[in-house]
Amino acid sequence: MTRIHIKTAWDHMRRAPFQALSAIFVLSITFFVITVLSALVYASGETLKYFETRPQVIAFLKDTATTEQISQLQTRLQQDSRINDVSFITKEEALEIYKEATADNPLLSELVSPSIFPASLEFSLTDLAFAEDVIQEVKQEEIVDQIGFTASLGGENTLSDVVSRLRTITFYIRLGGGAFAFLLASTSFLVLIVIIGMRMTTRRGEIEILDLIGATPGFIRSPIILEAIMYALTGVFVGWLLAFLLVLYSTPTIVGYFGEIPVLPRDTLQLFTLFGIMLGGELLTGFFLALSGSALAVSRVKRR
Amino acid sequence: MLELINVTKTFGDIAALSDISFKVDDGEFVFISGPSGAGKTTLLRLLLREIKPNQGEIILDGKNIAKLSSKEVPRLRQHIGTIFQDFKVIPERTVAENVEVALAVIGLPKNEWPARTEHVLRLVGLSDRANLFPSQLSGGELQRVSMARALVVNPKIILADEPTGNLDWETADKIMDLFEKINQEGKTIIMATHHKLIINKLKKRVIELKDGKVISRGASLPQKKEKKVDESEKEM
Repeated sequence: MTRIHIKTAWDHMRRAPFQALSAIFVLSITFFVITVLSALVYASGETLKYFETRPQVIAFLKDTATTEQISQLQTRLQQDSRINDVSFITKEEALEIYKEATADNPLLSELVSPSIFPASLEFSLTDLAFAEDVIQEVKQEEIVDQIGFTASLGGENTLSDVVSRLRTITFYIRLGGGAFAFLLASTSFLVLIVIIGMRMTTRRGEIEILDLIGATPGFIRSPIILEAIMYALTGVFVGWLLAFLLVLYSTPTIVGYFGEIPVLPRDTLQLFTLFGIMLGGELLTGFFLALSGSALAVSRVKRR
Repeated sequence: MLELINVTKTFGDIAALSDISFKVDDGEFVFISGPSGAGKTTLLRLLLREIKPNQGEIILDGKNIAKLSSKEVPRLRQHIGTIFQDFKVIPERTVAENVEVALAVIGLPKNEWPARTEHVLRLVGLSDRANLFPSQLSGGELQRVSMARALVVNPKIILADEPTGNLDWETADKIMDLFEKINQEGKTIIMATHHKLIINKLKKRVIELKDGKVISRGASLPQKKEKKVDESEKEM
């Protein structure tokens, strides 16, 4: 039975291709923008997470610190609810980090030995507001020589500023993106209602005949609702595909530009999973738009 | 069996039908006759439950169709074949598809469609027109499509509203022959018409309406069998 409704819906689309194209076109634009915005929201969230979770505080340890003392301090820090991701960096590892950082100038690394680098405990904070208190507390530790703040290159407030700015940007991306997506989705919804309404009007004679020969309201509505669903799902897929291709095309540039900040998943499978989830969500949204839009159009035309 | 008991239908202050009562037996062919505005179409619309009577009962196979809920109406209509003056065929569908629509409506499995469609198209003489669109057919052929669509669901009763109204006499005559053939197969036919020539030719019971009232209920004529013999003789 569904096959005859699908055929009817398809026939209607073929007979009025410009109406069908305009519906699909508007829906494609909507879901293209929604996909791009979703990717942007994801990227901003990941960037924020990156800055929030990167080691922010480095406690340089005295050379006299024993392994047991270091282990005890590390355990205490790990148990502190304000602190995340505690890691111990040995003198050798510190040298390696230094070498990597000065890779452009090998002479600099040749002049140093591991002994001049202090071992350290690096950790990040769950909230930068705890920074001052935590730093003061760790400074009191017997084995701690000095405390460094990751963003000390630009002053202690820099990281806090970056995170705060990122939070603002993320907030506006989410808010603005959400509002824009809502506006576009509403436009698509209205376009669907108008097109389905037009379809109902042009099919008025056929609907009257079907009604007279005993077709149930479900039988009469099914092709119309199916048609709206076809528009929506095609629009979603086309919009998503364009956005996905755009992201795939620009991924090397984006990854190169942002360096170690994971704005997009570097693993192909993860990237496909992310966009797969987006497609799933958008198909559901499109389906809901089509169902509610066509149901509303049908009920409006029926009332007239 | 169909029975109307004291049926009244008004539109505002205008009484389209007043206190109508009559019976139609199974397999009967009845003309509803009368001038324009007599209430013929209103009567057929009541039988099809397009509208509800203000009072009275319409009993079809023991069920008062005036009391049916709107959900039950499609089921009722699936058992009634309807034929209209303006044919009411779907212009975007071929002859066969127009017939198949009725089968889809009653939910018949698709594999049974071709045989049923072919049978009724042969019955109405449109086998060779199955794949044509309505715009490619004459008025008489369009009415045959309408008849085929009504017949394909094997209805208990056929309602025809001025089925020859848009046709010339020669075509109308052929259509009436077809109606008679269908009636001979046991279908109950209720036909609204003011075409005196047709009424006189077929010599069936006539219920005459005037200003919404029954002025003559007629009587079942016993010529049915004789006619059958005549027809078979004609065919031979």
